[in-house]
Amino acid sequence: MPDPGRTLLVGAVAYHPRVVTVWEGFRPYFAERGLDVDYVLYSNYERLVDALLSGQVHLAWNTNTAYVSAEARLGGDALVLGMRDVDAAYATVLVARRGVEVPAGLPGATLALGSRDSGHAAILPLHYLRAEGVPLDDVRLLRFDTDLGKHGDTGDSELRVLEAVARGDAVAGAIGDATWARLRAEGAAETADLAVVWRSPTYFHCCFTARPDLDREAAGRWLELLLDMSYDDPAMRHPMDLEGVKRWLPGDKSGYADLTAAMRQQGYLS
Amino acid sequence: MLLAAVLDAAAPGHEVDVAVASRSAALELPGWARVAGHLVVEERREGPRWLVRVRRGPGRRVLAEPLPPPGAPARLRSGEFRTGDWRAPAGPPPEAADATEGLVPLAAVAESGAPAFRWALHRRDQVWADDVGRLVEGATGAQWDASRDVPWREAAGLPDHLEHAVCQVMTYLAQNEYAAYYVPARYLGQVHPAYTEVLLWLASHVHDEARHVEVFTKRALVGGVRAYALASTQRSLHALLEERDFTASALLLNVLGEGSFLDLLDFVAAHAPDAATAAAARLAHRDELRHVRFGLSHVRRALERDPAIETRLVAAVEARASRLAGMTGLDSLVTESLTLMAAGSLQPAQLSEAARAVRDLQERMAANRVERLREAGLGEATARHVSDLHTPNLM
Repeated sequence: MPDPGRTLLVGAVAYHPRVVTVWEGFRPYFAERGLDVDYVLYSNYERLVDALLSGQVHLAWNTNTAYVSAEARLGGDALVLGMRDVDAAYATVLVARRGVEVPAGLPGATLALGSRDSGHAAILPLHYLRAEGVPLDDVRLLRFDTDLGKHGDTGDSELRVLEAVARGDAVAGAIGDATWARLRAEGAAETADLAVVWRSPTYFHCCFTARPDLDREAAGRWLELLLDMSYDDPAMRHPMDLEGVKRWLPGDKSGYADLTAAMRQQGYLS
Repeated sequence: MLLAAVLDAAAPGHEVDVAVASRSAALELPGWARVAGHLVVEERREGPRWLVRVRRGPGRRVLAEPLPPPGAPARLRSGEFRTGDWRAPAGPPPEAADATEGLVPLAAVAESGAPAFRWALHRRDQVWADDVGRLVEGATGAQWDASRDVPWREAAGLPDHLEHAVCQVMTYLAQNEYAAYYVPARYLGQVHPAYTEVLLWLASHVHDEARHVEVFTKRALVGGVRAYALASTQRSLHALLEERDFTASALLLNVLGEGSFLDLLDFVAAHAPDAATAAAARLAHRDELRHVRFGLSHVRRALERDPAIETRLVAAVEARASRLAGMTGLDSLVTESLTLMAAGSLQPAQLSEAARAVRDLQERMAANRVERLREAGLGEATARHVSDLHTPNLM
């Protein structure tokens, strides 16, 4: 196990080459403030959670599904050590061609979903629609299981969802509200004829997860420096932009109850 | 976009109420706000509208001081916004600019966090000429077209010996114009954007010279005969390209080289045996006048600001002369071609008169060179010394 007295090892998933730029940008920030942080990249979240549990890394930069899985395997003792501003109050939206009524129009129709391991584009939309009384047995699901293991991070499956809805292959499709906002801001062609027709309750998304035995002082220093990182610092703006964060929040466990229930119900947790 | 502008101007924590007519817009606002670093704190329906309250986040969107209040609009002359007038709204060129500052247009407020640049020429005295704005304006207004503005058909039908002579002179001119192209082109990438007029000037200079290469090459090609690219010419030009100091280059190229070319192009235009050659020389002459004007203006200003640089300038001329020590005069092939071209025939009387005209040209060049050096701010003795050392190749 790495020695936290020397180096705090953060594990992350390489869902895009920019992840390297992000962590190469973050490392000197911590180093200049006396905390030696290094990073290890994994190709998927299952391997990252294994690495956290086996002690190969001290912290895992997890998706919400990866966190719930780690938390379950740690018997509810995982530590949450920070999340992005964008991760609080995350929501899933359903998009449809204009004029389509959702969820009223879903029974008997097709709903497009992103990767089945994506909390925001597959697991949670099904959970919330069921809670709203939508008879899911009567809805045909069109799944785009691309980049499995990345939990929807690449955005590829969400783009396919939008294309499917725009083509008319599905009456509506589920994607993250932040993904929709980003694609709209970029003027993505796929969004042109579509509109948001439904919005889920909010939940938390990514968080830094640690084992309960992480050195308390290292954990405290990490969180202190993370929360101190400023978007107004010219050196940090670029890596923070790439990470999609403007402000780090302490994070806590309160925003994962729905996903935990959904994953249990859908058979993702043993 | 409207909301982003309103929130940008607001203080962190400030709340803005947004009323939207479509439910779909209301549904996507929370996602937009979070991604932009803000937060939706309340959503409710009110009659036919949806009301969304957005709290501005703490981050600054642009890492810079707030924009200054608007100043007076720029002055237009008969509806034209001239380059010579843009310093009134933009402010004067700084004495020295931050060498690491990036691509910041005049009067724009630079955001922090840009990568560091390294401009070699970042002090005003290194590059400036007080009339550069006006010269840029003149350059823009005097552009021409080497394909269409020369009566190419008129070049046909010269006797062989005359076509050969013209082709040799044109080849020599084109060789020189390459050097006149590469010298300003090198500095183009070194000048700090705070002196944008100088960038515009150098770009126009490079563009002019590219067209001169084009027009003289075309005149050489059009008749079908070929000529030599002389090594002595290349030796002289190679020594010109080795100079690395902006002001010394301005002296060597603009004042001395292009200055001599004014007299040469005048001569070619006056003695050309065909209208195409005359037109090419006249059009190039018009541009060279501007280039010489910039050189005079820049060198004079540099000498006024720091008389000590005279030593450096003279040293540059001497260094180049020492590299060209073996050259005793303009290559005889060029002199003969100029003579044949001016004679128009092979009759001894006309040849002898043309030879005298070429000798007169060389004397006129020497006299004008001294005059231009005096105008550039050199003393009489230094001007003569520098003129005597100038390359026999003319450029």
